[in-house]
Amino acid sequence: MITDLVILAFVVGLLTVPVIIGMIEWFRHFKLRMTWWKWLLSAIWYLMLLFLVLAAFTFIGEGEPVAGWKLLGSSAVIIVILGAGLVRILLAGRENSQEE
Amino acid sequence: MSQKNSNKDNGVSRREFLKIGGAVAAGLQVGAVAGAGLAAGKDPSSLTGWQHLGDNTQFVNRARLVAREMPIKKVGSQRRPEMWESPFGRQSLIMRDMMQYRRMLGSVNAGDERKDGLGSKPSLPEKETSPETTGAIQPDNKRMNFPPPEAFSEPMLTYYRDNPDHYELDRYRIEEIMPKRREDEAKYGDYYTLINAWSDSWETGERITEPPEESDFKIGRRRRIGKPVPFKSKTHAAELIKKVTHHFGASMVGITTIEPEWCYNYGLRGSSERGSYEVPKHWKYVIAFGVPHQWEQVNSNPSCGTSFDAYSRISIAARRLETFIKSLGYPARRHSPMDGYDLIAVPYLVKAGLGEQGRHGIVITPETGSNFRAAFVTTSLPMEIDQPIEFGVKEFCERCKICAEICPSGSISFAKNNEGMNTRGYRHWEINRTSCYNFWMQSMGGLGCRLCLIACPYSRKNNWVHRLTRNIDKADPTGLTTRGLTAMQKKLFEAPEAHEFLPPPDGHFANFREAPDWLQVRKYLDIDVIEPKAGDK
Repeated sequence: MITDLVILAFVVGLLTVPVIIGMIEWFRHFKLRMTWWKWLLSAIWYLMLLFLVLAAFTFIGEGEPVAGWKLLGSSAVIIVILGAGLVRILLAGRENSQEE
Repeated sequence: MSQKNSNKDNGVSRREFLKIGGAVAAGLQVGAVAGAGLAAGKDPSSLTGWQHLGDNTQFVNRARLVAREMPIKKVGSQRRPEMWESPFGRQSLIMRDMMQYRRMLGSVNAGDERKDGLGSKPSLPEKETSPETTGAIQPDNKRMNFPPPEAFSEPMLTYYRDNPDHYELDRYRIEEIMPKRREDEAKYGDYYTLINAWSDSWETGERITEPPEESDFKIGRRRRIGKPVPFKSKTHAAELIKKVTHHFGASMVGITTIEPEWCYNYGLRGSSERGSYEVPKHWKYVIAFGVPHQWEQVNSNPSCGTSFDAYSRISIAARRLETFIKSLGYPARRHSPMDGYDLIAVPYLVKAGLGEQGRHGIVITPETGSNFRAAFVTTSLPMEIDQPIEFGVKEFCERCKICAEICPSGSISFAKNNEGMNTRGYRHWEINRTSCYNFWMQSMGGLGCRLCLIACPYSRKNNWVHRLTRNIDKADPTGLTTRGLTAMQKKLFEAPEAHEFLPPPDGHFANFREAPDWLQVRKYLDIDVIEPKAGDK
């Protein structure tokens, strides 16, 4: 049975391609030297973001909006902190910083 | 010319396009994930409260969960339950003795002192016959005096002597709760018009009027069952019975054998004898099955919920299954909420592998958690039986205690485990059923409470997030996940405090969640209602 959930899951899957291509271009733009583990860390951070958004909106959808917004609020703080740490790690390997 | 310039098209390079496109796609992806979450949360197939047809709702493979040993253990000597041990069962005995007591007091007041007023029991203490106390009995029933323990006749005399706490709780209900309930109903009753109508609409009882030796061998009132149709094997019989039970409306079904100690020791339905009886010889197998409640109303317990939706559904399924088995030539008897039971539900559900017993005393199934109401059919049809299962409920309940915290009557134990509990020779979780029943009488709406049933973390929608957390918890032997999940449940999923469920002025008849719109009196009915508020006098 094709439900809203199936269609949206298909859309999420399709969007993964432009997201990855876009990430490559942004990393080039900032002249980041990406290694496999930096890619892994970036992917984990992004999947964590998606997972928490999915979980929070599942709570909202099942009629527990307070739980959903609380989860989103508290996880946003964690995501921002982890994101800042990830940016520092990625910027540490910039090509221009090594050329100096 | 550089490649950068060659890729320019209307001022936007290919790289710029990919960067902007990637950022937009990431934003859309987050939005689509949020939408997918909303869809997963709202998905009707995740509503465990929906009536299901077909066996696909019993989706957990129980063969992987077979318990190492029977979870309900024997401790000492076993005996069958007596009628007066249940607060419902002893109601008629209490009323009988109260009427007798009242008659006797009336005689005393009239100067006609009867020496035989209470049979061979000791005479009443002086304080009970004093004008102050006897004056409390009013003809309009607004206030009723509960007789002193020694004024009861057997078996209540012995029962209250052995269980003084139950005497006190029964006295409290009759003298305090019931008059207050009548006042509350007069004041707030209209506010619960829709839930009462909804609850009443499921009334579909049909009494059994003949003893098992008669009724179990007849289809309807007259037609005798035919010659038993042979099955290819016990496995085939079990498979067929489970399939048709699902089609008759049950979400889950299991099969086990009869245990005489788990049959009541009184009031066999259809029998003129009210006392003890021999368990009929043709009750060899027990088919146990059940359904969950409608999701929205079970969430708005205790005062905007009801038991009768699930009761009605499963009772109808029981009647269909009973007739099906009889039509194949085997005697059968239904035991269901609307038509009555001759056996105790919980141990049979555990033994038939439908779930594990929780701290709140009821059975938790892997599919619908505590949101589950059961019926049974006893028969002689030989079937392959199921085994008890374990999926971590014991360990979870020992740590969680959410049901005990939310219980407004304090009926659920906070004990570390059930090691010290012994009910008629069995060790299992036991609650104070009398104080539980007392709260039923305090709440408004469709009689009962069911808070423990819906507050249980296992009673969640069947969507990915709750399935994932249960599976992670099951795989963690350290208990850290249980602690984390329980803490998250308490922090994220807010619920009223236990006292808020009480009547005003202590509480305001709070519900676990707001009632659905179709149970909101003000939305549909043109009547004046008083909404209960904390502090109301």
